[in-house]
Amino acid sequence: MKMSSVRYLTKEGFKNTWANRLMSVASVGVLVACMVVIGLAILISENVKLAIGNLEKQNVVMAYMKDYSWAQYGDKSENSSGAESTTEASSEESATEEQPDARGIKSSDYVIHNEEEALALCKEIEKLDNVESVEYISGDKGLEDVKANMPEGQEKYFTFLDEEYGNPLSGAAKVKMKDMALFDVTVEKIQKLEGIDTIQSQSDLAEKITAIKNGIAIAGFWIIAILMLISLIIVSNTIRITMYSRKLEISIMKAVGATNAFIRIPFVIEGIFIGLISAILSEGVLYFCYRVATETICKTLGTTDIVKYSDMAILLFVIFAVIGILSGAIGSFIMISKYLRKEGSEFAAI
Amino acid sequence: MSEIINEIQDKPVIEFKGVSKTYKTGTHALEDVNIKINKGEFVFVVGSSGAGKSTFMKLIMREEKANTGTISVNGYNLTKIKKRNIPMLRRTMGIVFQDFRLIPKMNVFDNVAFAMHVVGASTRQIRREVTKALSAVGLGDKARSMPNELSGGEQQRVGLARALVNNPTLIIADEPTGNVDPNMSYEIVSMLTAINKQGTTVLMVTHDHDLVHYFKHRVIMLDSGKIVADNPAGGAEE
Repeated sequence: MKMSSVRYLTKEGFKNTWANRLMSVASVGVLVACMVVIGLAILISENVKLAIGNLEKQNVVMAYMKDYSWAQYGDKSENSSGAESTTEASSEESATEEQPDARGIKSSDYVIHNEEEALALCKEIEKLDNVESVEYISGDKGLEDVKANMPEGQEKYFTFLDEEYGNPLSGAAKVKMKDMALFDVTVEKIQKLEGIDTIQSQSDLAEKITAIKNGIAIAGFWIIAILMLISLIIVSNTIRITMYSRKLEISIMKAVGATNAFIRIPFVIEGIFIGLISAILSEGVLYFCYRVATETICKTLGTTDIVKYSDMAILLFVIFAVIGILSGAIGSFIMISKYLRKEGSEFAAI
Repeated sequence: MSEIINEIQDKPVIEFKGVSKTYKTGTHALEDVNIKINKGEFVFVVGSSGAGKSTFMKLIMREEKANTGTISVNGYNLTKIKKRNIPMLRRTMGIVFQDFRLIPKMNVFDNVAFAMHVVGASTRQIRREVTKALSAVGLGDKARSMPNELSGGEQQRVGLARALVNNPTLIIADEPTGNVDPNMSYEIVSMLTAINKQGTTVLMVTHDHDLVHYFKHRVIMLDSGKIVADNPAGGAEE
Protein backbone atom coordinates (compact mmCIF):
# COMPACT_ATOMS: atom_id res chain seq x y z
CA MET A 1 0.00 0.00 0.00
CA LYS A 2 1.27 3.46 -0.91
CA MET A 3 2.26 5.98 1.77
CA SER A 4 -0.36 8.44 0.50
CA SER A 5 -3.03 5.77 1.06
CA VAL A 6 -1.72 4.98 4.55
CA ARG A 7 -1.85 8.69 5.46
CA TYR A 8 -5.30 9.08 3.97
CA LEU A 9 -6.72 5.99 5.71
CA THR A 10 -5.22 6.94 9.09
CA LYS A 11 -6.74 10.41 8.76
CA GLU A 12 -10.06 8.84 7.80
CA GLY A 13 -9.93 6.60 10.88
CA PHE A 14 -9.49 9.60 13.19
CA LYS A 15 -12.13 11.58 11.30
CA ASN A 16 -14.60 8.69 11.68
CA THR A 17 -14.03 8.62 15.43
CA TRP A 18 -14.82 12.33 15.59
CA ALA A 19 -17.75 12.11 13.17
CA ASN A 20 -19.33 9.40 15.33
CA ARG A 21 -18.23 11.06 18.55
CA LEU A 22 -21.37 10.24 20.50
CA MET A 23 -20.97 6.52 19.87
CA SER A 24 -17.21 6.79 20.35
CA VAL A 25 -17.71 8.47 23.74
CA ALA A 26 -20.22 5.79 24.74
CA SER A 27 -17.86 2.96 23.86
CA VAL A 28 -14.90 4.71 25.48
CA GLY A 29 -17.05 5.01 28.63
CA VAL A 30 -17.92 1.31 28.68
CA LEU A 31 -14.35 0.30 27.84
CA VAL A 32 -12.98 2.51 30.62
CA ALA A 33 -15.42 0.88 33.06
CA CYS A 34 -14.26 -2.60 31.96
CA MET A 35 -10.59 -1.66 32.13
CA VAL A 36 -10.95 -0.04 35.56
CA VAL A 37 -12.58 -3.23 36.86
CA ILE A 38 -9.76 -5.28 35.31
CA GLY A 39 -7.21 -2.91 36.86
CA LEU A 40 -8.91 -3.13 40.26
CA ALA A 41 -8.90 -6.92 40.02
CA ILE A 42 -5.17 -6.82 39.30
CA LEU A 43 -4.48 -4.38 42.14
CA ILE A 44 -6.59 -6.36 44.62
CA SER A 45 -4.81 -9.54 43.56
CA GLU A 46 -1.41 -7.85 43.99
CA ASN A 47 -2.39 -6.63 47.45
CA VAL A 48 -3.60 -10.08 48.46
CA LYS A 49 -0.31 -11.52 47.16
CA LEU A 50 1.57 -8.97 49.26
CA ALA A 51 -0.45 -9.89 52.33
CA ILE A 52 0.09 -13.58 51.65
CA GLY A 53 3.78 -12.91 51.15
CA ASN A 54 3.86 -11.39 54.61
CA LEU A 55 2.03 -14.39 55.99
CA GLU A 56 4.45 -16.69 54.23
CA LYS A 57 7.33 -14.89 55.86
CA GLN A 58 5.80 -15.69 59.22
CA ASN A 59 5.14 -19.27 58.29
CA VAL A 60 8.54 -20.66 59.17
CA VAL A 61 9.36 -24.21 60.10
CA MET A 62 11.30 -25.01 63.25
CA ALA A 63 13.41 -28.14 62.75
CA TYR A 64 14.56 -29.27 66.19
CA MET A 65 17.85 -31.04 66.29
CA LYS A 66 18.83 -34.16 68.14
CA ASP A 67 21.30 -32.43 70.34
CA TYR A 68 22.80 -33.49 73.59
CA SER A 69 21.35 -30.71 75.72
CA TRP A 70 17.82 -31.69 74.70
CA ALA A 71 18.49 -35.33 75.52
CA GLN A 72 19.75 -34.37 78.92
CA TYR A 73 16.48 -32.65 79.62
CA GLY A 74 13.55 -34.48 78.16
CA ASP A 75 14.60 -37.57 76.29
CA LYS A 76 16.11 -39.22 79.31
CA SER A 77 14.21 -42.47 79.61
CA GLU A 78 13.86 -43.07 75.90
CA ASN A 79 17.41 -42.25 75.11
CA SER A 80 18.88 -43.91 78.11
CA SER A 81 17.49 -47.22 76.88
CA GLY A 82 18.70 -46.34 73.44
CA ALA A 83 21.99 -45.42 74.96
CA GLU A 84 22.15 -48.71 76.77
CA SER A 85 21.66 -50.73 73.63
CA THR A 86 24.18 -48.60 71.84
CA THR A 87 26.49 -49.05 74.74
CA GLU A 88 26.13 -52.79 74.53
CA ALA A 89 26.82 -52.79 70.86
CA SER A 90 29.71 -50.47 71.04
CA SER A 91 31.30 -52.10 74.04
CA GLU A 92 32.51 -54.82 71.80
CA GLU A 93 34.04 -52.30 69.42
CA SER A 94 35.94 -50.16 71.85
CA ALA A 95 37.24 -50.60 75.29
CA THR A 96 37.90 -46.89 75.76
CA GLU A 97 34.37 -45.83 75.13
CA GLU A 98 32.82 -42.73 76.62
CA GLN A 99 31.14 -43.18 79.99
CA PRO A 100 27.50 -42.17 80.38
CA ASP A 101 26.80 -39.18 82.59
CA ALA A 102 24.97 -39.30 85.91
CA ARG A 103 21.69 -39.62 84.05
CA GLY A 104 22.94 -42.51 81.96
CA ILE A 105 23.21 -40.54 78.73
CA LYS A 106 26.27 -40.36 76.52
CA SER A 107 26.99 -37.41 74.31
CA SER A 108 27.97 -39.70 71.44
CA ASP A 109 24.41 -41.04 71.24
CA TYR A 110 23.44 -37.75 69.64
CA VAL A 111 24.31 -36.43 66.22
CA ILE A 112 24.63 -32.81 67.21
CA HIS A 113 27.06 -32.13 69.98
CA ASN A 114 28.10 -28.56 69.47
CA GLU A 115 27.30 -25.39 67.57
CA GLU A 116 29.65 -26.24 64.67
CA GLU A 117 27.73 -29.42 63.97
CA ALA A 118 24.42 -27.60 64.31
CA LEU A 119 25.57 -24.98 61.79
CA ALA A 120 26.76 -27.73 59.45
CA LEU A 121 23.28 -29.29 59.60
CA CYS A 122 21.76 -25.88 58.88
CA LYS A 123 23.96 -25.65 55.78
CA GLU A 124 22.73 -29.06 54.70
CA ILE A 125 19.12 -27.91 55.06
CA GLU A 126 19.93 -24.77 53.11
CA LYS A 127 21.07 -26.90 50.19
CA LEU A 128 17.61 -28.45 49.80
CA ASP A 129 15.33 -27.21 46.98
CA ASN A 130 12.65 -24.75 47.99
CA VAL A 131 14.58 -23.61 51.08
CA GLU A 132 14.97 -19.85 51.06
CA SER A 133 16.95 -19.35 54.25
CA VAL A 134 17.98 -21.17 57.40
CA GLU A 135 18.78 -19.59 60.73
CA TYR A 136 20.30 -21.50 63.64
CA ILE A 137 18.53 -20.90 66.93
CA SER A 138 20.49 -22.31 69.85
CA GLY A 139 18.65 -23.78 72.81
CA ASP A 140 19.53 -20.74 74.92
CA LYS A 141 18.39 -18.28 72.25
CA GLY A 142 15.19 -20.32 71.82
CA LEU A 143 14.46 -20.12 75.50
CA GLU A 144 15.08 -16.38 75.54
CA ASP A 145 12.68 -15.93 72.62
CA VAL A 146 10.02 -18.01 74.33
CA LYS A 147 10.40 -15.99 77.50
CA ALA A 148 10.22 -12.73 75.58
CA ASN A 149 6.99 -13.78 73.92
CA MET A 150 5.34 -14.91 77.16
CA PRO A 151 2.82 -12.65 78.85
CA GLU A 152 4.31 -10.56 81.59
CA GLY A 153 4.98 -12.56 84.77
CA GLN A 154 4.65 -15.97 83.15
CA GLU A 155 8.24 -16.16 81.97
CA LYS A 156 9.24 -17.03 85.50
CA TYR A 157 7.96 -20.60 85.01
CA PHE A 158 10.50 -21.08 82.27
CA THR A 159 13.19 -19.50 84.41
CA PHE A 160 12.29 -21.97 87.14
CA LEU A 161 12.42 -24.94 84.76
CA ASP A 162 15.72 -23.82 83.38
CA GLU A 163 17.25 -23.44 86.82
CA GLU A 164 15.83 -26.69 88.15
CA TYR A 165 16.16 -29.10 85.21
CA GLY A 166 18.15 -27.24 82.61
CA ASN A 167 17.00 -25.71 79.30
CA PRO A 168 14.16 -27.82 77.90
CA LEU A 169 14.77 -26.59 74.35
CA SER A 170 17.20 -28.13 71.94
CA GLY A 171 18.88 -26.21 69.13
CA ALA A 172 16.73 -25.67 66.08
CA ALA A 173 16.96 -24.61 62.46
CA LYS A 174 14.50 -21.88 61.55
CA VAL A 175 13.68 -22.68 57.91
CA LYS A 176 11.95 -20.29 55.51
CA MET A 177 10.55 -21.77 52.29
CA LYS A 178 10.29 -20.32 48.83
CA ASP A 179 7.04 -21.92 47.66
CA MET A 180 4.42 -22.90 50.17
CA ALA A 181 2.86 -25.28 47.65
CA LEU A 182 5.90 -27.55 48.14
CA PHE A 183 5.66 -27.30 51.89
CA ASP A 184 4.98 -30.96 52.73
CA VAL A 185 7.64 -32.31 50.37
CA THR A 186 10.24 -29.97 51.83
CA VAL A 187 9.31 -30.85 55.41
CA GLU A 188 9.69 -34.51 54.53
CA LYS A 189 13.16 -33.90 53.09
CA ILE A 190 14.27 -31.99 56.19
CA GLN A 191 12.91 -34.74 58.40
CA LYS A 192 15.06 -37.30 56.63
CA LEU A 193 18.30 -35.48 57.42
CA GLU A 194 20.40 -37.05 60.11
CA GLY A 195 20.30 -34.97 63.26
CA ILE A 196 16.73 -33.71 62.87
CA ASP A 197 14.43 -34.84 65.60
CA THR A 198 11.07 -33.17 65.21
CA ILE A 199 9.63 -30.49 63.00
CA GLN A 200 7.19 -27.92 64.20
CA SER A 201 5.18 -26.44 61.36
CA GLN A 202 1.88 -24.92 60.44
CA SER A 203 1.00 -27.14 57.57
CA ASP A 204 -2.65 -25.94 57.39
CA LEU A 205 -1.59 -22.35 56.98
CA ALA A 206 0.61 -23.34 54.06
CA GLU A 207 -2.30 -25.18 52.49
CA LYS A 208 -4.63 -22.26 53.02
CA ILE A 209 -2.14 -19.82 51.55
CA THR A 210 -1.70 -22.01 48.49
CA ALA A 211 -5.47 -22.36 48.10
CA ILE A 212 -5.99 -18.58 48.37
CA LYS A 213 -3.25 -17.94 45.80
CA ASN A 214 -4.77 -20.41 43.35
CA GLY A 215 -8.25 -19.00 43.93
CA ILE A 216 -7.05 -15.47 43.21
CA ALA A 217 -5.29 -16.59 40.03
CA ILE A 218 -8.42 -18.38 38.74
CA ALA A 219 -10.79 -15.54 39.66
CA GLY A 220 -8.44 -12.98 38.11
CA PHE A 221 -8.25 -14.96 34.88
CA TRP A 222 -12.02 -15.19 34.54
CA ILE A 223 -12.62 -11.54 35.44
CA ILE A 224 -10.11 -10.43 32.80
CA ALA A 225 -11.41 -12.91 30.20
CA ILE A 226 -15.07 -11.91 30.66
CA LEU A 227 -14.33 -8.19 30.67
CA MET A 228 -12.13 -8.53 27.58
CA LEU A 229 -15.01 -10.23 25.81
CA ILE A 230 -17.34 -7.41 26.88
CA SER A 231 -14.80 -4.87 25.56
CA LEU A 232 -14.66 -6.72 22.26
CA ILE A 233 -18.46 -6.73 21.94
CA ILE A 234 -18.69 -3.02 22.81
CA VAL A 235 -16.10 -1.99 20.23
CA SER A 236 -17.66 -4.28 17.61
CA ASN A 237 -21.03 -2.69 18.21
CA THR A 238 -19.69 0.83 17.87
CA ILE A 239 -17.93 -0.06 14.66
CA ARG A 240 -21.10 -1.72 13.38
CA ILE A 241 -23.04 1.49 13.93
CA THR A 242 -20.26 3.54 12.31
CA MET A 243 -20.29 1.11 9.40
CA TYR A 244 -24.00 1.45 8.78
CA SER A 245 -23.76 5.22 9.00
CA ARG A 246 -21.05 5.02 6.32
CA LYS A 247 -22.93 2.57 4.12
CA LEU A 248 -23.01 5.11 1.30
CA GLU A 249 -19.26 5.68 1.44
CA ILE A 250 -18.59 1.96 1.48
CA SER A 251 -20.83 1.42 -1.56
CA ILE A 252 -19.01 4.18 -3.46
CA MET A 253 -15.65 2.77 -2.41
CA LYS A 254 -16.67 -0.63 -3.78
CA ALA A 255 -17.95 0.93 -6.98
CA VAL A 256 -14.73 2.79 -7.69
CA GLY A 257 -12.61 -0.28 -7.04
CA ALA A 258 -11.54 -0.16 -3.40
CA THR A 259 -10.12 -3.40 -2.05
CA ASN A 260 -11.64 -4.88 1.09
CA ALA A 261 -8.43 -4.07 2.98
CA PHE A 262 -8.72 -0.42 1.96
CA ILE A 263 -12.31 -0.28 3.22
CA ARG A 264 -11.41 -2.08 6.46
CA ILE A 265 -8.41 0.01 7.55
CA PRO A 266 -10.19 3.22 8.67
CA PHE A 267 -12.58 1.15 10.80
CA VAL A 268 -9.74 -0.81 12.37
CA ILE A 269 -7.89 2.46 13.07
CA GLU A 270 -11.06 3.85 14.62
CA GLY A 271 -11.33 0.76 16.85
CA ILE A 272 -7.69 0.99 17.89
CA PHE A 273 -8.02 4.71 18.57
CA ILE A 274 -11.08 4.14 20.79
CA GLY A 275 -9.16 1.39 22.61
CA LEU A 276 -6.10 3.57 23.18
CA ILE A 277 -8.09 6.57 24.41
CA SER A 278 -9.89 4.21 26.80
CA ALA A 279 -6.54 2.85 28.04
CA ILE A 280 -5.22 6.35 28.82
CA LEU A 281 -8.43 7.39 30.58
CA SER A 282 -8.59 4.10 32.51
CA GLU A 283 -5.09 4.68 33.86
CA GLY A 284 -6.14 8.09 35.20
CA VAL A 285 -9.47 6.92 36.62
CA LEU A 286 -7.89 3.88 38.26
CA TYR A 287 -5.11 5.97 39.78
CA PHE A 288 -7.69 8.29 41.32
CA CYS A 289 -9.93 5.44 42.59
CA TYR A 290 -6.98 3.49 44.01
CA ARG A 291 -5.56 6.54 45.73
CA VAL A 292 -8.87 7.36 47.42
CA ALA A 293 -9.44 3.70 48.39
CA THR A 294 -5.94 3.10 49.77
CA GLU A 295 -5.91 6.36 51.72
CA THR A 296 -9.17 5.33 53.42
CA ILE A 297 -7.96 1.76 54.05
CA CYS A 298 -4.64 2.94 55.46
CA LYS A 299 -6.36 5.38 57.78
CA THR A 300 -8.92 2.83 58.94
CA LEU A 301 -6.65 -0.17 59.37
CA GLY A 302 -3.53 1.77 60.30
CA THR A 303 -1.44 -0.19 57.82
CA THR A 304 0.96 1.06 55.20
CA ASP A 305 1.66 -2.35 53.78
CA ILE A 306 -0.15 -1.72 50.47
CA VAL A 307 1.01 -2.02 46.87
CA LYS A 308 2.00 1.40 45.53
CA TYR A 309 0.23 2.50 42.33
CA SER A 310 3.47 3.87 40.94
CA ASP A 311 4.95 0.35 41.08
CA MET A 312 2.08 -0.97 38.96
CA ALA A 313 1.41 2.03 36.69
CA ILE A 314 3.46 0.92 33.68
CA LEU A 315 2.29 -2.69 33.83
CA LEU A 316 -1.34 -1.57 34.12
CA PHE A 317 -1.00 0.82 31.17
CA VAL A 318 0.55 -1.90 29.05
CA ILE A 319 -2.31 -4.26 29.97
CA PHE A 320 -4.92 -1.56 29.21
CA ALA A 321 -3.27 -0.64 25.93
CA VAL A 322 -3.08 -4.28 24.85
CA ILE A 323 -6.73 -4.87 25.79
CA GLY A 324 -7.79 -1.65 24.07
CA ILE A 325 -5.80 -2.18 20.90
CA LEU A 326 -6.72 -5.85 20.61
CA SER A 327 -10.42 -5.40 21.27
CA GLY A 328 -10.47 -2.38 18.93
CA ALA A 329 -8.62 -4.06 16.12
CA ILE A 330 -10.25 -7.50 16.40
CA GLY A 331 -13.76 -6.13 17.05
CA SER A 332 -13.72 -3.78 14.09
CA PHE A 333 -12.01 -6.31 11.80
CA ILE A 334 -14.65 -8.95 12.54
CA MET A 335 -17.52 -6.51 12.03
CA ILE A 336 -16.36 -4.95 8.79
CA SER A 337 -15.39 -8.32 7.33
CA LYS A 338 -18.84 -9.66 8.14
CA TYR A 339 -20.43 -6.60 6.56
CA LEU A 340 -18.30 -6.80 3.42
CA ARG A 341 -19.09 -10.49 3.02
CA LYS A 342 -22.83 -9.89 3.16
CA GLU A 343 -24.20 -6.45 2.33
CA GLY A 344 -20.99 -4.75 1.32
CA SER A 345 -20.77 -6.50 -2.02
CA GLU A 346 -24.00 -4.93 -3.21
CA PHE A 347 -23.11 -1.38 -4.05
CA ALA A 348 -25.47 -0.76 -6.93
CA ALA A 349 -28.62 -0.90 -4.85
CA ILE A 350 -28.09 0.24 -1.26
CA MET B 1 -3.18 -12.77 -14.30
CA SER B 2 -4.79 -15.75 -15.95
CA GLU B 3 -8.25 -14.19 -16.03
CA ILE B 4 -7.12 -11.18 -17.98
CA ILE B 5 -7.64 -11.72 -21.65
CA ASN B 6 -5.11 -9.90 -23.72
CA GLU B 7 -6.50 -6.54 -24.57
CA ILE B 8 -6.57 -6.26 -28.30
CA GLN B 9 -7.77 -3.05 -29.87
CA ASP B 10 -10.65 -4.63 -31.83
CA LYS B 11 -11.71 -6.98 -29.04
CA PRO B 12 -15.12 -5.99 -27.58
CA VAL B 13 -15.09 -3.96 -24.36
CA ILE B 14 -18.10 -5.97 -23.21
CA GLU B 15 -19.03 -9.40 -24.52
CA PHE B 16 -21.88 -11.65 -23.32
CA LYS B 17 -22.01 -15.21 -24.70
CA GLY B 18 -25.10 -17.27 -23.86
CA VAL B 19 -25.50 -15.54 -20.49
CA SER B 20 -28.37 -16.53 -18.21
CA LYS B 21 -29.03 -15.40 -14.68
CA THR B 22 -31.59 -16.87 -12.30
CA TYR B 23 -31.75 -15.61 -8.73
CA LYS B 24 -32.06 -17.91 -5.72
CA THR B 25 -35.69 -16.81 -5.45
CA GLY B 26 -36.31 -18.44 -8.82
CA THR B 27 -36.63 -15.19 -10.80
CA HIS B 28 -35.23 -15.58 -14.31
CA ALA B 29 -33.57 -12.19 -14.81
CA LEU B 30 -31.65 -12.86 -18.04
CA GLU B 31 -31.93 -15.64 -20.57
CA ASP B 32 -29.35 -16.57 -23.18
CA VAL B 33 -28.04 -13.05 -23.74
CA ASN B 34 -25.47 -12.61 -26.50
CA ILE B 35 -24.08 -9.14 -27.02
CA LYS B 36 -20.92 -7.35 -28.04
CA ILE B 37 -20.09 -3.73 -27.26
CA ASN B 38 -16.97 -2.45 -28.93
CA LYS B 39 -14.51 0.16 -27.82
CA GLY B 40 -15.74 3.70 -28.40
CA GLU B 41 -19.42 2.81 -28.68
CA PHE B 42 -22.26 4.68 -26.91
CA VAL B 43 -25.05 2.27 -26.07
CA PHE B 44 -28.45 2.95 -24.55
CA VAL B 45 -30.00 0.02 -22.67
CA VAL B 46 -33.77 0.38 -22.52
CA GLY B 47 -36.62 -1.74 -21.29
CA SER B 48 -39.53 -1.70 -18.88
CA SER B 49 -39.20 -2.46 -15.17
CA GLY B 50 -38.25 -6.08 -14.58
CA ALA B 51 -36.85 -6.43 -18.09
CA GLY B 52 -33.43 -7.36 -16.75
CA LYS B 53 -31.57 -4.02 -17.16
CA SER B 54 -30.32 -3.91 -13.56
CA THR B 55 -29.14 -7.52 -13.71
CA PHE B 56 -27.39 -6.75 -17.00
CA MET B 57 -25.51 -3.86 -15.35
CA LYS B 58 -24.77 -5.85 -12.17
CA LEU B 59 -23.24 -8.63 -14.23
CA ILE B 60 -20.97 -6.13 -15.99
CA MET B 61 -19.85 -4.65 -12.66
CA ARG B 62 -19.47 -8.20 -11.27
CA GLU B 63 -21.87 -7.50 -8.47
CA GLU B 64 -23.67 -10.64 -9.59
CA LYS B 65 -22.35 -13.76 -11.26
CA ALA B 66 -23.95 -15.41 -14.29
CA ASN B 67 -25.31 -18.94 -13.90
CA THR B 68 -24.38 -19.91 -17.42
CA GLY B 69 -22.41 -18.37 -20.27
CA THR B 70 -19.33 -16.21 -20.29
CA ILE B 71 -18.89 -12.48 -19.81
CA SER B 72 -15.79 -10.48 -20.56
CA VAL B 73 -15.39 -6.82 -19.64
CA ASN B 74 -12.32 -4.70 -20.34
CA GLY B 75 -10.24 -7.84 -20.82
CA TYR B 76 -11.40 -9.58 -17.63
CA ASN B 77 -13.17 -12.89 -17.92
CA LEU B 78 -15.89 -12.41 -15.31
CA THR B 79 -16.76 -16.09 -15.07
CA LYS B 80 -13.25 -16.91 -13.90
CA ILE B 81 -12.21 -13.67 -12.16
CA LYS B 82 -10.79 -14.10 -8.65
CA LYS B 83 -12.39 -12.08 -5.85
CA ARG B 84 -9.22 -10.11 -5.23
CA ASN B 85 -9.22 -8.90 -8.86
CA ILE B 86 -12.79 -7.56 -8.83
CA PRO B 87 -11.62 -4.14 -7.50
CA MET B 88 -9.09 -4.01 -10.37
CA LEU B 89 -11.90 -4.65 -12.88
CA ARG B 90 -13.98 -1.86 -11.34
CA ARG B 91 -11.06 0.55 -11.59
CA THR B 92 -11.30 0.24 -15.37
CA MET B 93 -14.85 1.61 -15.32
CA GLY B 94 -16.59 4.71 -14.04
CA ILE B 95 -20.06 4.33 -12.57
CA VAL B 96 -22.74 7.04 -12.55
CA PHE B 97 -25.73 6.39 -10.29
CA GLN B 98 -29.29 7.63 -10.64
CA ASP B 99 -29.29 8.93 -7.04
CA PHE B 100 -25.87 10.64 -7.48
CA ARG B 101 -24.39 8.93 -4.40
CA LEU B 102 -22.50 11.98 -3.19
CA ILE B 103 -21.21 11.97 0.38
CA PRO B 104 -23.13 14.80 2.07
CA LYS B 105 -20.39 15.75 4.55
CA MET B 106 -17.77 16.14 1.81
CA ASN B 107 -17.51 19.08 -0.54
CA VAL B 108 -17.53 18.69 -4.32
CA PHE B 109 -13.74 18.45 -4.59
CA ASP B 110 -13.50 15.77 -1.88
CA ASN B 111 -16.36 13.77 -3.36
CA VAL B 112 -14.47 13.51 -6.63
CA ALA B 113 -11.08 13.07 -4.92
CA PHE B 114 -12.55 10.16 -2.93
CA ALA B 115 -12.44 7.95 -6.05
CA MET B 116 -8.76 8.75 -6.51
CA HIS B 117 -7.82 8.06 -2.88
CA VAL B 118 -9.24 4.58 -3.33
CA VAL B 119 -6.78 3.82 -6.12
CA GLY B 120 -3.87 5.24 -4.09
CA ALA B 121 -3.22 8.39 -6.10
CA SER B 122 -0.82 11.00 -4.71
CA THR B 123 -2.06 14.34 -3.39
CA ARG B 124 -0.54 16.17 -6.34
CA GLN B 125 -2.18 13.81 -8.82
CA ILE B 126 -5.50 14.17 -7.04
CA ARG B 127 -5.35 17.97 -7.14
CA ARG B 128 -4.53 17.98 -10.84
CA GLU B 129 -7.03 15.34 -12.00
CA VAL B 130 -9.95 16.48 -9.84
CA THR B 131 -9.60 20.06 -11.07
CA LYS B 132 -9.51 18.76 -14.64
CA ALA B 133 -12.58 16.53 -14.15
CA LEU B 134 -14.58 19.31 -12.49
CA SER B 135 -13.72 21.70 -15.32
CA ALA B 136 -14.78 19.05 -17.85
CA VAL B 137 -18.28 18.92 -16.33
CA GLY B 138 -18.45 22.71 -15.93
CA LEU B 139 -18.15 22.81 -12.13
CA GLY B 140 -14.66 24.26 -11.80
CA ASP B 141 -16.00 27.11 -9.65
CA LYS B 142 -18.03 24.86 -7.34
CA ALA B 143 -15.17 22.78 -5.93
CA ARG B 144 -15.71 24.02 -2.36
CA SER B 145 -19.52 23.79 -2.42
CA MET B 146 -21.33 21.15 -0.43
CA PRO B 147 -23.64 18.72 -2.29
CA ASN B 148 -26.78 20.17 -0.66
CA GLU B 149 -25.92 23.58 -2.14
CA LEU B 150 -26.13 22.18 -5.68
CA SER B 151 -29.09 21.50 -7.98
CA GLY B 152 -29.92 17.93 -9.04
CA GLY B 153 -28.23 18.43 -12.39
CA GLU B 154 -25.10 19.84 -10.76
CA GLN B 155 -24.98 16.94 -8.32
CA GLN B 156 -25.18 14.49 -11.20
CA ARG B 157 -22.33 16.34 -12.92
CA VAL B 158 -20.25 15.86 -9.77
CA GLY B 159 -21.12 12.15 -10.00
CA LEU B 160 -19.98 12.22 -13.62
CA ALA B 161 -16.71 13.94 -12.68
CA ARG B 162 -16.13 11.25 -10.05
CA ALA B 163 -16.72 8.54 -12.67
CA LEU B 164 -14.30 10.25 -15.06
CA VAL B 165 -11.50 11.17 -12.70
CA ASN B 166 -9.66 7.85 -12.88
CA ASN B 167 -9.74 7.93 -16.71
CA PRO B 168 -11.82 4.77 -17.17
CA THR B 169 -12.19 3.03 -20.52
CA LEU B 170 -15.85 2.33 -19.83
CA ILE B 171 -18.56 4.52 -18.27
CA ILE B 172 -21.62 2.79 -16.89
CA ALA B 173 -24.49 5.17 -16.23
CA ASP B 174 -27.51 3.74 -14.45
CA GLU B 175 -30.39 6.08 -15.31
CA PRO B 176 -28.27 9.17 -14.78
CA THR B 177 -31.10 11.46 -15.85
CA GLY B 178 -33.73 9.85 -13.62
CA ASN B 179 -33.53 12.55 -10.94
CA VAL B 180 -32.85 15.65 -13.02
CA ASP B 181 -35.02 18.01 -15.03
CA PRO B 182 -35.41 17.46 -18.82
CA ASN B 183 -33.05 20.28 -19.82
CA MET B 184 -30.36 19.01 -17.54
CA SER B 185 -30.97 15.47 -18.87
CA TYR B 186 -29.96 16.59 -22.33
CA GLU B 187 -26.96 18.38 -20.93
CA ILE B 188 -25.80 15.26 -19.07
CA VAL B 189 -26.19 12.98 -22.08
CA SER B 190 -24.40 15.62 -24.18
CA MET B 191 -21.51 15.47 -21.73
CA LEU B 192 -21.47 11.68 -21.89
CA THR B 193 -21.51 11.93 -25.70
CA ALA B 194 -18.56 14.32 -25.57
CA ILE B 195 -16.67 11.91 -23.32
CA ASN B 196 -17.55 9.08 -25.70
CA LYS B 197 -16.15 11.03 -28.61
CA GLN B 198 -12.79 11.03 -26.87
CA GLY B 199 -12.79 7.23 -27.05
CA THR B 200 -14.47 6.15 -23.81
CA THR B 201 -17.14 3.48 -24.20
CA VAL B 202 -20.45 4.53 -22.60
CA LEU B 203 -23.25 2.22 -21.52
CA MET B 204 -26.32 4.06 -20.31
CA VAL B 205 -29.54 2.61 -18.91
CA THR B 206 -32.52 4.90 -19.44
CA HIS B 207 -36.29 5.06 -19.54
CA ASP B 208 -36.27 8.36 -21.35
CA HIS B 209 -37.35 7.64 -24.95
CA ASP B 210 -36.95 11.27 -25.98
CA LEU B 211 -33.27 11.14 -25.11
CA VAL B 212 -32.82 7.88 -26.99
CA HIS B 213 -34.51 9.35 -30.09
CA TYR B 214 -32.61 12.59 -29.84
CA PHE B 215 -29.07 11.23 -29.51
CA LYS B 216 -29.34 8.35 -31.98
CA HIS B 217 -26.82 6.05 -30.35
CA ARG B 218 -26.97 2.27 -30.45
CA VAL B 219 -29.98 0.95 -28.50
CA ILE B 220 -30.28 -2.44 -26.83
CA MET B 221 -33.80 -3.26 -25.74
CA LEU B 222 -34.44 -5.85 -23.06
CA ASP B 223 -37.73 -7.52 -22.30
CA SER B 224 -38.33 -10.39 -19.86
CA GLY B 225 -34.61 -11.04 -19.63
CA LYS B 226 -34.05 -11.30 -23.39
CA ILE B 227 -32.61 -8.90 -25.92
CA VAL B 228 -35.55 -8.09 -28.13
CA ALA B 229 -33.88 -5.37 -30.24
CA ASP B 230 -30.38 -4.12 -30.95
CA ASN B 231 -30.51 -1.02 -33.12
CA PRO B 232 -27.22 0.36 -34.33
CA ALA B 233 -26.25 4.00 -33.89
CA GLY B 234 -28.27 6.34 -36.07
CA GLY B 235 -31.12 3.83 -36.37
CA ALA B 236 -34.64 4.18 -34.97
CA GLU B 237 -35.78 2.61 -31.71
CA GLU B 238 -38.26 -0.16 -32.15
